[in-house]
Amino acid sequence: MTRTRRWAVVAVGVLLVVGVPVAIRAIPPSDSDVGAGELLAAVAGSEDHPWSGYVETEGALDLPVEDDFSDVGSLFGESTRMRAWWRGDDDWRVDRLLVAGETDLVHHSGLTIEWSYEGDRARLSRDPDIRLPRTADLVPPVLAERLLRDVDAGDVVRIEARRVAGVDAPGLRLEPTAPQASVDHVDLWADPESGIPLRIEVFAAGEPSPSFTTEFRDFSAATPATAATDFPAAPGIEVDHDDVLDIADAANQYAPLRPPDRVGGLAKSSTSDGAVGVYGVGLTQLIAIPMRDREADPLREQLGQTPGVRHLAAGTAVSAGPLGVLLTGEDGDGGWLLAGTVTETTLVEAAGDLARGTTYLQDDS
Amino acid sequence: MIAVELRKLLLSRRTWVTILLIDALPTLVGVLLAVTDLGPRPGTGPAFLSAVLTDGTLFPLAALAIVLPLFLPIAVAVTAGEAIAGEAQQGTLRYLLVRPVGRTRLLVAKLVGVMVFVVLTVLVVAATAYVVGVVLLGSEDVTTGATSVSGSSLSTQELAGRTMLALAYAMLCMLGVAAIALFLSTVVTTPLAAALGTLGVLVTSTVLLTLDAADVLQPYLPTRYWLSFVDLFRDPILWRDVERGVLLQIVYVVVFLGAAWANFATKDITD
Amino acid sequence: MIRTEGLTKQYGRITAVDGIDLDVREGDVYGFLGANGSGKTTTVRMLLGLVLATSGSIEVLGRPMPASGRDVLPQVGSMVEGPAAYPQLSGRTNLALVDASGPGGGRRTRAGRIDDALARVGLDGVDKRPVRAYSLGMRQRLGLAAALLRTPRLLVLDEPTNGLDPQGIREIRQLLLDLNAAGTTVFLSSHLLAEIEQMCTRVGVLDRGRLVLQDELADLQRPTGRMVVRTPDVAAVRGLFNGQVESQDGDRLWIRVDDPAALNARLVGAGIRVAELAPEKRTLEEIVLEAATTSGDRR
Repeated sequence: MTRTRRWAVVAVGVLLVVGVPVAIRAIPPSDSDVGAGELLAAVAGSEDHPWSGYVETEGALDLPVEDDFSDVGSLFGESTRMRAWWRGDDDWRVDRLLVAGETDLVHHSGLTIEWSYEGDRARLSRDPDIRLPRTADLVPPVLAERLLRDVDAGDVVRIEARRVAGVDAPGLRLEPTAPQASVDHVDLWADPESGIPLRIEVFAAGEPSPSFTTEFRDFSAATPATAATDFPAAPGIEVDHDDVLDIADAANQYAPLRPPDRVGGLAKSSTSDGAVGVYGVGLTQLIAIPMRDREADPLREQLGQTPGVRHLAAGTAVSAGPLGVLLTGEDGDGGWLLAGTVTETTLVEAAGDLARGTTYLQDDS
Repeated sequence: MIAVELRKLLLSRRTWVTILLIDALPTLVGVLLAVTDLGPRPGTGPAFLSAVLTDGTLFPLAALAIVLPLFLPIAVAVTAGEAIAGEAQQGTLRYLLVRPVGRTRLLVAKLVGVMVFVVLTVLVVAATAYVVGVVLLGSEDVTTGATSVSGSSLSTQELAGRTMLALAYAMLCMLGVAAIALFLSTVVTTPLAAALGTLGVLVTSTVLLTLDAADVLQPYLPTRYWLSFVDLFRDPILWRDVERGVLLQIVYVVVFLGAAWANFATKDITD
Repeated sequence: MIRTEGLTKQYGRITAVDGIDLDVREGDVYGFLGANGSGKTTTVRMLLGLVLATSGSIEVLGRPMPASGRDVLPQVGSMVEGPAAYPQLSGRTNLALVDASGPGGGRRTRAGRIDDALARVGLDGVDKRPVRAYSLGMRQRLGLAAALLRTPRLLVLDEPTNGLDPQGIREIRQLLLDLNAAGTTVFLSSHLLAEIEQMCTRVGVLDRGRLVLQDELADLQRPTGRMVVRTPDVAAVRGLFNGQVESQDGDRLWIRVDDPAALNARLVGAGIRVAELAPEKRTLEEIVLEAATTSGDRR
């Protein structure tokens, strides 16, 4: 065989190895003629459907938060790999996969165990009404449930199908109608069989690429085995009990105040009955957390160092994609931390409403 | 020819010095851990290193995680880069070829030689680390086994089996490195250039892996799935990346061996 | 034993070997002469399949090369551009590796083969020192031993006496002549004219990639039909052989005659004092220089 012939053989081999997967991926997914309303109903109907799979999220929302909020920052600002088994809303396990370890959430009967391999500890907590976002909130089916609440067939249109985790998934676009919304639109693709959402992209206004993406890379609509959602702690692992899950839960339980029923034109959610207010629904939501000065000051400093920070009369404001953050008050003060997928105007307005409408259970603390 | 290659490998003092040097680092780490009892902070340091303090039987894995990203690939790149270019530089290549040894056979024998070197190194590192781990760091009760990354318990058999799988996986990853170095060794004239070229490829791959802009390329980079052996210790085992890693390494081995063959089979031997 | 036709090798635009037709016959000690850079080594490498010809054909032992290398090369012993060995290993281990790496010969007879080869090149007393500690001459002998290991039918040797002392050169020369007498064809490439002249039966001369001469050494050095006469009586000789004196250099005259004895008789008869009388015989150096010059003029 001549030199040229041999190199040709090698080149053909490389082409096959590289080209065949690319070609297979390039085959356009077959679309179904399911209507927008029909697909939306299927997605809504899939809420109790079990599933399991491997999920990757990709966030471009660079939140300048650390310490108390560090997990939130990495959830929205980095890529996260998860695998999850979901038998039902009260029986699931979501593992966040790290290069040299993992952090698992295992949920049963209202109780969640958080296992951290590298920290070598397990923490048990009841699921509070109000808490910061965690990995399990970002898997497509769970996120979709939150985003699609109160959405009806008139708010959605069909978009082209897309292949997600090997499934040719018909797509749906949702554009929020609320004037407070900062999200431009959300694209969602769902399994045509079960209706389970497989991929979600969140777009801020004027952005060509999504601010946040979550999708299955491997997906099964079969019911996972009971053992899959267990946490069979190895001997030697001690499970701590946590009364307080995170800073939002702490503030909600212990801050001696109640926020008003309506801020920035958004109504308070029924789940919010403590000191933390959750307002709005679906795509247009806002959380208001009261903070003491020793929590607010370092956060204010961090926000102050963020590129694009704006010092408004109402407080310190930053935004990342569709996500707006506003911390009221001055150094040495406590304040309200407002964050949500709403416009800055809405945040400022809400800050005003909070300042006026908050009732204090005891004397000012 | 394979037997001859193995004899050359085992007779070479450099082989043993290299293995000793690679082995020294995890041993040093093990001793330091045992003396100071200071593990790395959670989320930092090589995989399994923080877990080693409570269970010395995991130390072979930690040792693997320590040598896999840098030491082992360097040693493999140097050894495999030596394969053809080293013989050529020494002048022995022409005498092998007129003996005659078929050129393709020579390539295969060289690859087998490098592979034996890798297996030997990994086994020596694992065995030393096991002894260091058990003697210095102590082991948990043998009957309970170890803790998986997912927090469940692994029986001693499971741990041993998965450790073997992890070692095999690491060896396969190094085979990919060896194939690249072997190809370069047929192209350049000095073994040093082949080794440096291979390291260049690996460094490039590592840098691109940290770069979001190289997202499209990342699944094809040779170092992409190297540390996926950690997935073997999750419960249940996460095969996804391990499977991809195995496939990727096989592709690298086939493509670069093919290229080495295409280049070497009719190359003019002028040194 | 070796036959090439139009053998050509180009490196890019440089032609290293330009259409040479070698003809080495069985039983020859063939001297392949050429200055450094004339393409000798490239030709030798092509014969052994190390370098691939750009065009032309090669036959070694009657089989095409490099296609039949697998069958041909085991019967060929060679040394190309100096010996080479693994420096950290002993000579004996090196030979064992060489022996084991190729086809033929059992493991059981290996030690015997190695002992024979070492004895032939005068390394039988060698100890376990690594080759690193060998002198240049010892390495050269080891290289020869490796070439002889398989009792080859054809020996292709490139500068085999390089680095040897005069005694060593004599030994090696005798060894090659003995081998040749026993039926081994020897292809000897060298730039040392004297070496070739002393040993070879056939000569090929390479100049700038071209084979400018290839013939039996005996034919090349056949008497030229002229006699050289050294005499103080130059004028008398010129008078006697008017027209036959072809050239003169001081007291030397070159005279074309058919019968040297008659010439002698006439000189003696004429009472001419002769200091020296001999048939003209050209040295190899003159032959090579002449061939190289004419080929240079041809261009």
